Amino acid sequence: MQINMEDMNGVTIVRMNGDIDINSAPDVKKSFDTTVSEKKDKVVINLKEVGYVDSSGLATLVEILKNLRSYGGKLKLTNLSAKVKGLFEITKLDKLFDIVPEEEDAVGTF
Amino acid sequence: MKRTSIENDSHLLKEVSNELIEELREIGVNEEIIFDVHVGFEEALRNAMVHGNKGSEHKKVAVETKIEDNSVTIMVEDEGDGFVPESLPDPTHDDNLLLEGGRGVYLIKHLMDEVRYENGGRRLIMIKYLDRQHI
Repeated sequence: MQINMEDMNGVTIVRMNGDIDINSAPDVKKSFDTTVSEKKDKVVINLKEVGYVDSSGLATLVEILKNLRSYGGKLKLTNLSAKVKGLFEITKLDKLFDIVPEEEDAVGTF
Repeated sequence: MKRTSIENDSHLLKEVSNELIEELREIGVNEEIIFDVHVGFEEALRNAMVHGNKGSEHKKVAVETKIEDNSVTIMVEDEGDGFVPESLPDPTHDDNLLLEGGRGVYLIKHLMDEVRYENGGRRLIMIKYLDRQHI
């Protein structure tokens, strides 16, 4: 799992590459420690290069969302593949997360 | 039918599932079905290792896979205390959406075509119907 973070006009953009699963989930969670400790309040996670997410990965994303919300931060998920989006729909997590088709759309709509 | 017994190590989980996924790919199974089997199989292995065997390195997970013309059958059995699947809370209920756990069994039920538990919840048998592409 590769995680790339970039700040763009006050928005933290996180681009992930690889599977978010039982083995990578702890690293994914840890990669947000600074974002949360610095109370970054506008965060976009781009999942374009994520082809597989398991329930550990979904749980980690829920945890990140809860941490951001604890200080009023907002999170948007973008560029989900049809298969990954399907997992969010089955588990009804599409009701919990703000899922936006493209990264550019997400950055401009906070 | 293939039978194996694996150590309770989440890194082995990928090896076992990848082997089945490659076999399904080789016989031309539709990628959408492969994705469902991939998630279902790994969730089953993960549940067996983490919840069934409670991460114990002294316990193992038994696995059987059988590919037939129109289906793949997967059996995963742990050495834990068992559980009652019906007792799990519905992770899609509004009150439970923010819970971090509880989605593995739910995903299995929704992605696989037939799912049943035996041996007090220690043994999971699941079937996915296959749709092959012409190759």
